[in-house]
Amino acid sequence: MIGAVDRPPRPSLLRARAGEAAIFALPLVIFLFLLYAMLGWTFYTSVSNWQGTAANYSFGGLKWYRLMFSLDRFWVDIGNNLRWITIGVVPTVVAAVLLAYLLEIGTIKGVEPYLRTLILYPAAMSFIVTGTIWSWMYQPDRGVLNTILRGVGLGSIASGYTTDPDSATYWLILIFVWQYLGMSVLIVQASLRTAELQEMVESATLDGASRLRTLLHIIVPNIRGGLLVVVSLLLISALKVFDIVYVVTFGGPGYATDVLALHMLIATFQQHLVALGAGLAMVIFVLAFVIIIPYTIYALQRWFD
Amino acid sequence: MRGAARTSVVVLVLIAVIVAAALGYVAGTRRMSSQQPTEARRLEIFHWWTAGGEREAADAMLKAFKDKYPDVEVVENPVAGGGGVSHRVVLQARLSAGVPPDTWQTLGGAELKSYVDGGNLVPLDELFTELKLADAIPKPLANAVTINGHPYVVPLNMHIQNILYYNQKLFAELKLQPPTTVDELITVAKAIKAAKPNMSPLGLGSKEKWGAAFVLDSILLELGGPEYYVRLYKGEVDVKTDATYKAALEKLRDLAPYIYQFHAGLTWDESVGLVVSGDSAMVIMGTWAIGYFKSRNWTPGTDFGAVTFPQKPDRILLFHPDTYGIAKGAPHARTAMDWLRVVGSQELQVPTDVTQGGLFARLDIDPAKFPDPIRQELQNYVRSNPGKLILDQHGSIAPFSFTQAYWDVIAAFTAKPDVAGTINKVAELFTTFKVKEEAAWYTWP
Repeated sequence: MIGAVDRPPRPSLLRARAGEAAIFALPLVIFLFLLYAMLGWTFYTSVSNWQGTAANYSFGGLKWYRLMFSLDRFWVDIGNNLRWITIGVVPTVVAAVLLAYLLEIGTIKGVEPYLRTLILYPAAMSFIVTGTIWSWMYQPDRGVLNTILRGVGLGSIASGYTTDPDSATYWLILIFVWQYLGMSVLIVQASLRTAELQEMVESATLDGASRLRTLLHIIVPNIRGGLLVVVSLLLISALKVFDIVYVVTFGGPGYATDVLALHMLIATFQQHLVALGAGLAMVIFVLAFVIIIPYTIYALQRWFD
Repeated sequence: MRGAARTSVVVLVLIAVIVAAALGYVAGTRRMSSQQPTEARRLEIFHWWTAGGEREAADAMLKAFKDKYPDVEVVENPVAGGGGVSHRVVLQARLSAGVPPDTWQTLGGAELKSYVDGGNLVPLDELFTELKLADAIPKPLANAVTINGHPYVVPLNMHIQNILYYNQKLFAELKLQPPTTVDELITVAKAIKAAKPNMSPLGLGSKEKWGAAFVLDSILLELGGPEYYVRLYKGEVDVKTDATYKAALEKLRDLAPYIYQFHAGLTWDESVGLVVSGDSAMVIMGTWAIGYFKSRNWTPGTDFGAVTFPQKPDRILLFHPDTYGIAKGAPHARTAMDWLRVVGSQELQVPTDVTQGGLFARLDIDPAKFPDPIRQELQNYVRSNPGKLILDQHGSIAPFSFTQAYWDVIAAFTAKPDVAGTINKVAELFTTFKVKEEAAWYTWP
């Protein structure tokens, strides 16, 4: 078999290869077609005149984008989406690295598997469930958090949480962090366990490096692959966030916690402004493109270096 | 050899997947097309009555139909979610795809107009003549289901929006009279707050957004009167410079300290629940709240009372109907027509409306059929004053695109009262969504 590699392949084998290639390329072609045809369709809808229940594909130009940019609600959405992708992602990643490291070096090795399961649990729940649970936690009158605060005599710092227009979005983001932390820890931990990294950490420890130094200078630079996965996943999830907002506040108070995806639903199906909804979908797409693609390219380049 | 075996396994799996997909597609289309050729006695119906109390009403409604036409197979397609939020997502998808259900629930007014504008419904002039419906229902209700001169749906009830429910025992204990004006409401609220400092006198839930607009509507109705109310939502008032609108917002701001503080987290039923749990003493909510009170074992007339609010300068009832029409291209148009005959009849309206909480659409039904004094009195009032009905927030005089955005702005106002900013935003919504053009269809009285 070893010599066979050097000989030019026989024609019949070539034909078999071509058939194989076609079979494997087919799903890809179908997938790409579906993806980009839908994208093109959405874009076209956003410049059409579709308003109401009947499809109307006559060309309307950029009037829906002009309307969108004139809406106060749209700019609230943009602000909130930016909050989600910064406050939702950065603390989660930092906390995940710290927690993973603590679990790894922990002197409490025996409880580590249980602790990990505990941290991972939230990720196993759907956002609808998490949203409902946290609604009970946040409920200002009889909710868990305020009841505990009042119970220990800290009633003065009890808050309205998601019913306070100024801070509501941050409380929603906290739910997201809670939900995704476990999964992020798991991915970071997996990348900590490569043999090379273990060896490096060992020699660093032998050289007398402190644990913090080891973390910052040895571990973090060497788990770029894991971090890439975590950051990308979190960015995408934070950008398309919908369920938490829908369940807990429905965009309220007023539209203080509204996000692009919820606005898209309201515009399309409640207001029957389908073209405006498609336009909002395009904005989400462009945001994803602008934020995620450059990051992926950057991270991949450094990964392969 | 091993590589080739693996390849053939992959190929086999791929073929299996493709065959399965093709079979699934064929099965799907066969099921749909089998409904078309001969008109089977079948009725596919979309509605959103799935919550407690409403589910029972839907059962009563379909039972009335089954009693009359036992041979029809009813395919129910209920979509959960109050006020039809999720319902509209599914319905819109079916309508855009050109596979409509035979009939679906819609509110009269602006929502109905969006279906008529989309060409989704057939006009029902003949049916209305056949059933003499125009004589049986109040004129404003007939107007709410008539677009461009043609009736498009048959109403089965009328819900009244501007009703103030109050804790009757507490009012007796504090020797209070139910308020009839906004100033009286504030006075009563002050008295309650003084006697029960832990209470928020007026309950409110603005998670679904429209709750806040209900309160503002009552204030507008008092400060401006009915003609003003209609002109406002027809887009004929310049909100930016209008003194009445500003005064109404200021009143709502004055009322705010007596409103349940965390209303942004509550849905309508939870806001009514505040009265039952003793967190609040009053709530402004539509007639559907009666069903909720009953489900919590509160008896009308002893545990809670209800008055239309406001009662000055005129006792106006803001209303909207639940209605059904026939889809253009409905697979079972003839059965759907039979269904609408039942919808318009006493036999369906009595059991359904008594359970669900609205008033009867037909004025020839005896008000005594209602078990509670509240609706008996309301139905009697409508019978002798049919002209006092005006479309409410749900029925909506203004187009739906405007109304949805308007609710958000008013809900935001109750969370953080900013009169000048809100006036600007509301004025902008009126022009952005072309209310004046889109609401021109509505006439009152």
